[in-house]
Amino acid sequence: MAVQGIWSGTISFSLVAIPVRLVTAIEPGRVSFHLLHNKDYSRLARKMVSPVDGSIVSPDEIVRGFELAPDQYVLMTDEELESVSPERSRTIEVLEFIDLKEVDPIYFDHPYYLVPAKGGEKAYQLLVEVMSRTNKAGLAKFVLAEREYLVAIISREGALELVTLHYHDEILSHEGLSPGKDTLSAEEKDRMTTNIKSMIEDFDPTKYSNERRTRIMDLVMQKAKERAPVEAPGMAEEPGDGPPDLVAALEESMRKVRSR
Amino acid sequence: MSRTFVDISGKRLPLSNLEKDLYPSHGFTKAQILEYYSRIAPFMLPHLKDRAMTFTRYPEGVEQGSFFEKRCPSHRPSWVRTAMVGHGDSEPLAYCLVNDLETLLWAENLAALELHAPLARAGTPETPDSLVFDLDPGDGAGMAEAVRVALILRDLLSNMALESWVKSSGKKGLHVFIPLNRAEATFEDTKRFSKAVAESMQKHYPDLVTAKMAKQYRTAKIFINWSQNDATKTMISVYSLRGRAQPFVSFPLPWQELERLAGQAENLQVTPEEAVRRAESTGDLFHEVLVKEQKLPHL
Repeated sequence: MAVQGIWSGTISFSLVAIPVRLVTAIEPGRVSFHLLHNKDYSRLARKMVSPVDGSIVSPDEIVRGFELAPDQYVLMTDEELESVSPERSRTIEVLEFIDLKEVDPIYFDHPYYLVPAKGGEKAYQLLVEVMSRTNKAGLAKFVLAEREYLVAIISREGALELVTLHYHDEILSHEGLSPGKDTLSAEEKDRMTTNIKSMIEDFDPTKYSNERRTRIMDLVMQKAKERAPVEAPGMAEEPGDGPPDLVAALEESMRKVRSR
Repeated sequence: MSRTFVDISGKRLPLSNLEKDLYPSHGFTKAQILEYYSRIAPFMLPHLKDRAMTFTRYPEGVEQGSFFEKRCPSHRPSWVRTAMVGHGDSEPLAYCLVNDLETLLWAENLAALELHAPLARAGTPETPDSLVFDLDPGDGAGMAEAVRVALILRDLLSNMALESWVKSSGKKGLHVFIPLNRAEATFEDTKRFSKAVAESMQKHYPDLVTAKMAKQYRTAKIFINWSQNDATKTMISVYSLRGRAQPFVSFPLPWQELERLAGQAENLQVTPEEAVRRAESTGDLFHEVLVKEQKLPHL
């Protein structure tokens, strides 16, 4: 077990079936903080609150509504949503092989790695090599957590990456954002070309790091060194008896312990 | 920075600052820490296997503060294995798995003196392998009281046909484990069980025991921290060093030793040298915690 998968199944097309696991390829660099009460540093909990009287609404009183117009909702139950969800499936079904250069990066959403599962190593390696040699990527569909995704399967440095793609109707048009067609002088074009050429480098992402994250973590460590962290009180300790049989058994056992 | 390399199982591991004294008031260098962990590894590694480890790192030594590290450092060597674990609605993190000697020594080279493990393995994060009672002495109480409570607990559990094992925390307290190893009880079960036991102990030994977390109830008493039986909590691993002034180890203790030493219980602290000597002569006294199958009754 190297990394735990978040999904497992098979890549399939024509007569090929490659068992794989999907693992995450990204560890978000965001520093997360907890929200604490400044009186006793207890962790705050989120509750749903009625805007009408401020009372806390319990989960079993919450329903889902689609807003048709202001203050007008169509109610939708979990069962109804389930009935239109794609069927859970164990396959990543390759529909086409495409040239990745044709894909505008604006379509790329979230990257994962595909890892060969037991028995799939050879077929996996074959797909990696052939896709790499022919410079093609697989365009596939698959269902993860009740949503059907369009994905690209990419061969990179001996491994397969899977990137979920946005559907085309999620992409906003840039119409109206680009300027009109002014005539550009050859001199202006030359100057810009020279500028750009002087700045050309090979892409090396390791040159750049999330400096804000580094600075926040340095500050956290420095503060932790300077003074002890604040301490939260224990979890809610609701009194209340344990399971009745257990409490009785404990009483019986305790009687024996104490009688010695 | 001084640097040296060791090769383990064909993997090359750079070690740095070997002469640095990480326990300055006592004198225990990084080289000695690495030696301790490599000699205790055969006994310790089975307890760490496939657990999403949290490190407490002391890069400048135990007197200079520490930090918890849950996320496996991103500059790890490619052969360090990780597991993605998330709890509730929190974002999953890649935790280090310390399954082999090279990873253990890599972690120690990062001055991860304390190794903390969850009670469940990464593949089955909701079903703990064991239930734990963390016996934590409040101000004015000490190891002697913790030993008394541990012995009562052992007898109480034994009457319910549950065998238990005990280890020193390496700090002030003791940890009593009930092995389960049946992939059956959930943390909800172990928490209900341990809470009921702690409350029964508090009821019958009110001057000795409290089951309440709040500091004001803990003076001169042993707090039985049942809430450690939780998927999000970790316990100091058996055989781990602790980040105190003097290097002590969380070490498994035979019950007879607790009975014998009950009066002078400060002697229960185990140094790294003693830990290696004892483990090599008796074997892993916590082995049963890994394999013994037991079922919690009356839930």
